[in-house]
Amino acid sequence: MPLDTSSYALAHLRLDGRRWNELRRLHAQTSTQAAADGSSYLEMGNTKVICTVAGPAESRKGGGGGGNAEAKIEVEIGIAGFSGVERKRRGKGDKRTSEMRHTIASAFSANLFAHLYPHSTITVNLHVLSQDGSLLAACLNATTLALIDAGIPMSDYIVACTAGSTASYASNDEDADPLLDLNGLEEQELPFLTVGTLGAGEKVSVLIMETRMQMTRLEAMLAAGVDGCRQIRSILDGVVRAHGKAVLDSAIS
Amino acid sequence: MANGTAKPTGLAFSRETFAKLTPGPFLQAHLQQAEPVRANGRSLDAFRTPTINTGSLSHSNGSAVVRIGDTAIVCGVRAEILLASDIPNPPSDDLSKDEIVEQMGLLVPNVELSTGCSPNHLPGNPPSTLAQALSYRILSLLHTANLIGLQDLRIQYAEPPTDDDLPDEGPKVVTKAYWTLYLDVLCIALDGNPFDALWAGVLSALQNTLLPKAWWDPDREMIVCSPLASEATRLQLRHLPVASTFAVFSTASLLKARSEAKSWVLADPDDFEEAVCVETVSVVVTSEDDGRESVLKLEKCGGGHVGKIEMGQCVRLAHQRWRDWQVVMSGG
Repeated sequence: MPLDTSSYALAHLRLDGRRWNELRRLHAQTSTQAAADGSSYLEMGNTKVICTVAGPAESRKGGGGGGNAEAKIEVEIGIAGFSGVERKRRGKGDKRTSEMRHTIASAFSANLFAHLYPHSTITVNLHVLSQDGSLLAACLNATTLALIDAGIPMSDYIVACTAGSTASYASNDEDADPLLDLNGLEEQELPFLTVGTLGAGEKVSVLIMETRMQMTRLEAMLAAGVDGCRQIRSILDGVVRAHGKAVLDSAIS
Repeated sequence: MANGTAKPTGLAFSRETFAKLTPGPFLQAHLQQAEPVRANGRSLDAFRTPTINTGSLSHSNGSAVVRIGDTAIVCGVRAEILLASDIPNPPSDDLSKDEIVEQMGLLVPNVELSTGCSPNHLPGNPPSTLAQALSYRILSLLHTANLIGLQDLRIQYAEPPTDDDLPDEGPKVVTKAYWTLYLDVLCIALDGNPFDALWAGVLSALQNTLLPKAWWDPDREMIVCSPLASEATRLQLRHLPVASTFAVFSTASLLKARSEAKSWVLADPDDFEEAVCVETVSVVVTSEDDGRESVLKLEKCGGGHVGKIEMGQCVRLAHQRWRDWQVVMSGG
């Protein structure tokens, strides 16, 4: 349905007027909460996510864990009742939320220099205020910013975005365009994947795909996704540097 | 000790160390000066300036983000339809319209504090006593204030005349469904005085709420809504009550005579002051249709230092605060 309109067939413009390789408006802020060690607020289009980081702190279970040579990363996601199209109160054991939490935790465990903080826990809390597609990608990006704001060292940014394909609407392989950064309506109808890279290169750190599609189109989608991640990394890097400059300027003056 | 010429060096603490070690005497040292001032630099009856941002969430019927100093909250309003046929015990006819709103629970506030907003509220925990108490205070204030009339929340249908009806009777209007408003309030940052900010958020979000045009379709036997934004109606609030909270700092202790204790009333306490104050006063004021200002709710607990005179001062300050809030809420 999102591509049935004549605008795509004639001019290759999606419902919101974007072309296949254009990202939605990405707005990010760091250090939004004074009480948390690190915090960030990120908007990808209409998907709005708040992230707070507490830690590294002593593990709540005391020394029961034995010898943890590295810091443990715990992720909690709270999806507000007013965030989606229907008001759904998600319980704690919700499988979809558990999978997202596990994905985010494992992505960052591999990337953060956790060996610097043995026997401690880093807690990441995500609050979803509004969902309009690319939820996992927005959570990963917000977590990266909040961890940088908390001062936890990492090798590079983990940035993520979604990529889809117009395969179901194309008559043959040549016409199937990959699409970048799908919104909510497009995610419901088209096959898509979420890809997260480590920095601007081609190292893929997170890849999740839950819809069926043909193998021949996968490469184009991945390439579009990795390119989108590169653009997002430069935007997030700009945000971090601007914030750092503001802090330095206020410290000097 | 032998030669008393050398002056003993004093212990010089920085302000932050003094505040952390002995917060009570730190605050008292500020308040005891000739010009009493608080640790955060405000005068005794100065409130923090609020900022409100409405309508930023795309999927909710109404939303508001309220910031008072470092306290920030987000409130989202979602309207869901409750079919009259699904109500097991329909309200009896002798209830007034405003009582029906309360009895059927058409307004459902929920306060979420376990968001990591402050070190005292760690996320992942079930709602603490404070969160539950705040949810209930907001619910009871919504009912007492009678902000929303039942006619805004009803979806009615005029049944077509049948042959059995008497010819001079008007069309029978029956209520087919009600709008239930779910008010979800998330606290993003807490720096003291959550109640004022939560109430302001609920009020602004309700003011911003758009309810789509809905009617009963007799052929499909269901409620149908119009997707056009031009046909949606904004919720009308009858009046705008404003909450003001005060904390009382006193030097009373069990070791001193009660008459020796001194106390100061601090308006809009922040986190540091709330930790050292035991007594609190909360005043909710509103203005009637004819412009007279009236007190809607008074709450006081924790001690006996606020008497009639101090309470009168608190109410006066609350009225002043009401006027300041009207400017902010009308988009000034």
